[in-house]
Amino acid sequence: MLGGLYGLIGLGLGLSWGLLGQINLAHFAFVFLSAYLSFQISTTFGINPWWSLILLPPLFFVLGAGIHATIRRFKITAFNSLLLTFGITVIIDALIQWIWTADFRKLESSYSNSKVEIFGIYFPYAESFSFAISVICAGAVYWVMKKTDMGKAVRAIAQDPEMATAYGINQKFISMCLAGFCTALACVAGICVSLIFTLNPSQLYTWIGVVFAVVMLGGLGSAFGPILAGMLIGISESITMVFIAPSWAPIVSFTLLIGLLLFRPDKI
Amino acid sequence: MLDIKALQVSYGPAVALWDIDLHVKTGELVCVIGPNAAGKTTLINTIAGLNRATKGNISFNGKDLTHTEPHLFCKHGIALVPESRRLFTNMSVLENLELGSFLSEAKSHRRESLERVLDLFPAMKLKLSSPAGSLSGGQQQMVAISRALMARPKILLLDEPSLGLAPSIVLDMFNAIKHINSNGISVLLVEQNVSLALDIAQRAYVLEEGRIAQEGLAKDLLNSPTIQKAYLGIN
Amino acid sequence: MHLNRPILNILILGVILATIPWLGLSAFWLSFLYIILYWSVLTLSWNVFSGYSGYFSFGHGAFFGIGIYTVAYMCGQLEHDFLPMVALGGALSGVAGVVLGAIVFRVKRVRGELFALLTLAVTFIISTIVLNTPIDGGPGVYLNSVQVPKIGPNSPATFYLLILILFITALLISKLVSNSKLGAALFAIHDDEDAAEVMGVPTFKTKLIALFISSALAGIAGGIHAVFVSYVTANEVFSINVPLFVVLMSILGGARHWAGPALGALVITSLQYVFTIGDNALFGKMVLGVILILVILFKPSGFLGNRAKKEVKNDAKKIAESYGVNLESVHPHTETYFHVDHKSSNHSSHPKERTHNPEHGHHHWHANPEILLQAQDLCMAFSGLKVLQNLNLEIYRGEILGLLGPNGSGKSTFINVISGHYKPTAGVLSFNGINITDLKAHEIAQHGIARTYQIPRPFANLTVFENTRLVASFARNISLSAATPFAIEALEKVGLQAKIDSIPQDLNLHQRKFLEFARALAAKPKLLMLDEVLSGLTPSEIQSAIDLILDIKAQGTTILFVEHVMSAVMALADRVAVINYGQLLAKGDPQEVMRNEDVITAYLGKKLEHA
Repeated sequence: MLGGLYGLIGLGLGLSWGLLGQINLAHFAFVFLSAYLSFQISTTFGINPWWSLILLPPLFFVLGAGIHATIRRFKITAFNSLLLTFGITVIIDALIQWIWTADFRKLESSYSNSKVEIFGIYFPYAESFSFAISVICAGAVYWVMKKTDMGKAVRAIAQDPEMATAYGINQKFISMCLAGFCTALACVAGICVSLIFTLNPSQLYTWIGVVFAVVMLGGLGSAFGPILAGMLIGISESITMVFIAPSWAPIVSFTLLIGLLLFRPDKI
Repeated sequence: MLDIKALQVSYGPAVALWDIDLHVKTGELVCVIGPNAAGKTTLINTIAGLNRATKGNISFNGKDLTHTEPHLFCKHGIALVPESRRLFTNMSVLENLELGSFLSEAKSHRRESLERVLDLFPAMKLKLSSPAGSLSGGQQQMVAISRALMARPKILLLDEPSLGLAPSIVLDMFNAIKHINSNGISVLLVEQNVSLALDIAQRAYVLEEGRIAQEGLAKDLLNSPTIQKAYLGIN
Repeated sequence: MHLNRPILNILILGVILATIPWLGLSAFWLSFLYIILYWSVLTLSWNVFSGYSGYFSFGHGAFFGIGIYTVAYMCGQLEHDFLPMVALGGALSGVAGVVLGAIVFRVKRVRGELFALLTLAVTFIISTIVLNTPIDGGPGVYLNSVQVPKIGPNSPATFYLLILILFITALLISKLVSNSKLGAALFAIHDDEDAAEVMGVPTFKTKLIALFISSALAGIAGGIHAVFVSYVTANEVFSINVPLFVVLMSILGGARHWAGPALGALVITSLQYVFTIGDNALFGKMVLGVILILVILFKPSGFLGNRAKKEVKNDAKKIAESYGVNLESVHPHTETYFHVDHKSSNHSSHPKERTHNPEHGHHHWHANPEILLQAQDLCMAFSGLKVLQNLNLEIYRGEILGLLGPNGSGKSTFINVISGHYKPTAGVLSFNGINITDLKAHEIAQHGIARTYQIPRPFANLTVFENTRLVASFARNISLSAATPFAIEALEKVGLQAKIDSIPQDLNLHQRKFLEFARALAAKPKLLMLDEVLSGLTPSEIQSAIDLILDIKAQGTTILFVEHVMSAVMALADRVAVINYGQLLAKGDPQEVMRNEDVITAYLGKKLEHA
C-alpha cells in the first residue's frame, strides 16, 4: 500500500528528471511543506482535508513553474541545479521547523481511523485513498503522455528540444508548465502523507533514498513505472521489517539504489 | 519567397557565416554545395530559426523573420529536415509524423497529409507503429522528410539528406525530392553529393569558408573546373 | 622560488595559532576556535578530491563517521589507546574511500549528479549498519572515560592543538597538491576527463589517490572529534549536516583555491555561532540555504575563485619570463617559425602546391619504409552499427598520411580507436612493434601517440601554459618542472607565447586550434594525429598551419591527418588513404588516388543518369 505513495512522490521526481533533465532535490521539501500546510489548513479551519486537494496544488504549480523559470534564466549547469535545489530544500526544512517546530504533528480527521472494505479485507482508509490517488495520477499522466498531442510534444522536447522547436513546439513555456505540474504532484503526495503519517521534520531526509530508488527502478519519465517500483520496494521493506528488524529497512532501498547506479546506469 | 540579405552568423567570437545573399523563388529547387565545415548546416539551421543571425536579415513571403522566436518559424511555412535525420527515436513513426503536424493549421489537415506522405513513401505503411529508432538510415530519411511534409510547408529545408545512405537509396530519395518540388513546394537543399544536387536543382550556390563563393544555374556549375578542384584537389 | 612563500606562511600561521592556549583565553574561545579548525579540516579534505576533480561527493559524512565510530568503538567500548585509534580511524576511512572509488570509477556513466547521489546513499547505508550493530546499537556511545594525552595547559587546549596540527597538515596538503602533478591531473579531470585520459593522465589512479587522501583526513578529524564531543549518536554523525556544510563552505570560499575551503569554513562557522547564540539556529539554517542559492547563482566560483585564477595566470607569466619568452602582443600567424622558400601567401586563396620535390623528404621514407602503425582487420561497431569494417592500413615512419573520405565514413572513429578513446570490436592495432589494441588511452599516449581534436578541447580552467605543460608532463612521464621547457618550446613554435597566461575562453578559434597543436607537440609524440585541424581557418591561417605541419615532419614526427581542405591535402601528404563506409577504398600517391574512379564517385556522387 505504502508503495503506492512512494510511487506518487517518485512520479513527480521521475518526470522532472526524465523529461526536464533536472534532479529536483527540493521535491521532497515540497512534499513535506504541502503535508504540513494541509495539516494546518485542516486543523485551523476544521475543514475536510479534501479541500486541500483543490486549494494547494495550484499554488504549488505556480511555485514550481516560477522556480523553473528562475533557474532557466540563470543558465546554470545541471549539477549546480542539484545544489541549488538542495539549498531550497534546506530553506524549506528550516522554515517547516521554525513554524511547526520539531514536535510531532498529526492530522486528526474523521478519516484517520476509518477503514474501507474491499473484497472482504479491511484497509485503512487514508492509505487506500492515497493508493487510489497514486494510481489515478499515474493513469492520467500515462494517458496524456501517450494519447494527447501535448504529451507527445513533451516527450519530443525531452529527447530533442531543438527539433521540437523546429516544428512549432514552444519548448520554454511547456517545460515551465511541466515543472509546475511536477510540483503540483508533490503537493498532492504531501496531502496524502499528512493523512497517513505523523509529521516530523527529520523524516524528510529518510525518504530521499527510497524515492530515488523507486524512480530509478521504475524508469525516468515513466508513468506507471514508479508506482510499480514503489510497490516492489514497499513490499521488500515490509519483509525486511518483519523478518530482520525494522531499522534495517532503509538499507533495502539504498542498496538497491547503489546497485542500480552501478550496474544499470544506462537505464538512467 | 525566401530572401536572405547580408546574413552573418557567429558562434560567440567565431564567425561562421559572412555576408550571405541568397534567395529562393516560389516553386524553385535551389541547392547549396560546398566542402565540409563551410557553414552549410549553420546556414540551414539559421533559416529554420534554430540559430540567431548576428547581422543581416531573413525575410519570408514579405515577413521579416530575423528576430522571430524560434518556435514560430514553422508556423510561417518553413519545415526542416535536419542533418542525420534527428527523428524522435523513442516514439513511433506515426507519432513522429503527428508531431510534424503539431501546429493547429497543419493539425486540421492531418489525415489528408498523412495519406499524401504514405502515397509518396508506401514502405512506411508497414512501419507506422515501430519505434523510429529501429528503422534503417534510408527509412529514417523517409520519415524525416514526411515529418516535414506533415507541417504543410511552403518551403522544405534539407540538410545533407544523402549522408550515410547507400547509393541506391540516395537515388530514390532525390527522386522523391524532385517530385515534392514539382508539386509546388519550394526546396532549399544543402548537399555534399555534388552531382545529384546539381542534377535536380535549378540554381545553386557554392559555400566556402562561410561565404558564397559562386552562384549560378545548376547546369553551368556542374561542368565548372573550380568545383572539381575544390572537391578533389586536382587540376 | 615563488612556491615557498605560501608554505612558509602556512607554517608561520601554525606556530602563531599554537601559542593561543597559553594566552589565557576561556575554554569557550578555545572550543570555538576548535570548531572552526575542525570544519576547515573537513572542508579542505573534501575539496582535495571533490573540489579539485569536480566529483562532488555528498557522502563525506560517511568517511568522517567511520573515523568517529572507529574511535568510539575501539576506545569507548574496547578501551584501546586514543591516538593509535585515531590513526586507525583515518586508515579505515581511507580504505573505505579507495574501495568505493575502485568500484564506482569503473562505471563511466557515474559522474556528476549520479556520483553525488551514490555517495549520499552510501552514507545512509553505513549509518544504518552502525545503528543496528554493536558498534552503536542505538543509544550512542559515551567517550568521557577515554584517556587523552595531555598536550597543553588544559583539556580543551589538547583538542585544540591536535586539531591545529591536523589543520596545518590539511592546509599544506591542499596547497601542495594544487601545485603538484596530482593536482594538475585532478584539474584536468575536472574540465574534461576523457580528453585528459587520452592525453596521458591516468584518471583512475589519480581519482583513487585523491579520494584516499580526502577520506583519510576526514577519518582522522572524526577520530579526534569523537572524544571532543564525548557522546556520539548515529543520527547526529550521519546526518545531512556534514555533507551539506562541507559543500557549502567549499563553494562559498572557492573550490579552486587551496585556501578557499578554510575561508568558507571560517565564515560559515562564525555566522552559525552568531545565530546559535542569538537563539536563531533555525533562522541561521535558512540563511545558509539562501547563501548557497545566491552563491550558485551569482558567484559559482566562490570568494577566492577569482583570486585562484589570477594566481595561476601570474605563475604562468613568471615562468614564461624566467625562460626569456617575449610576452609582447604578437600576431600569431605572421610569426611563422618555418621560413619557407616560396613567398607567404597572404593574398592567394589556396596554399601553394608542393611540386614533387625529392628533397622534401620523400626519399627519406622511400629508402626506409618502416611501418610505425599497423591496423589489421580493424572493426568498430556501436550498438550494431558498423562504423569501421575490416580496415587494413599501415602508416610509415616519417610520412605524412592524409586520411580522406566523405562525411560519416569513419575517419574520426579511426583516430578515436587508435588514441584509445574506443576499444575496437575486432582486429589488431600495433604501434612500434607493440600491440596497443587493449591498452588504456593514457598508456597509448605514453607510448608516443598524440592527437588533436576537430573541435578543440582545451582544459577550460587552465592557462595556455598549464594546458601544454600538463600534456607534456603526462605523455612523457616526467615531472611538471621538467616539462616546463618543452611546453614553452612548443608554444613558441606555434606562435602562442604571447598568450601563455590566457585561458582558452579568451582565445579565438585559430588560437585554440594552435593550442591543440602545441599540446600535441609538447608531448613529442612519435605519431601525431590531426583531426580536421584546418576547418574554420582563413586562408592565411591555413598557410601557417601547413608550414607548422611541415616543420613538425622535419623534426621526425609521423603525421596522420584527416582533412577536407583538398588543396592542403595535396600540398602536404606523401600518401593518402580514402575510406568510405568504414572500409578502405584506395591508398597511395595523392594525385593518383584522387583520380581513382571509385574515389571520385564516393566524393562527388553518382549522377542520376547512371542509375
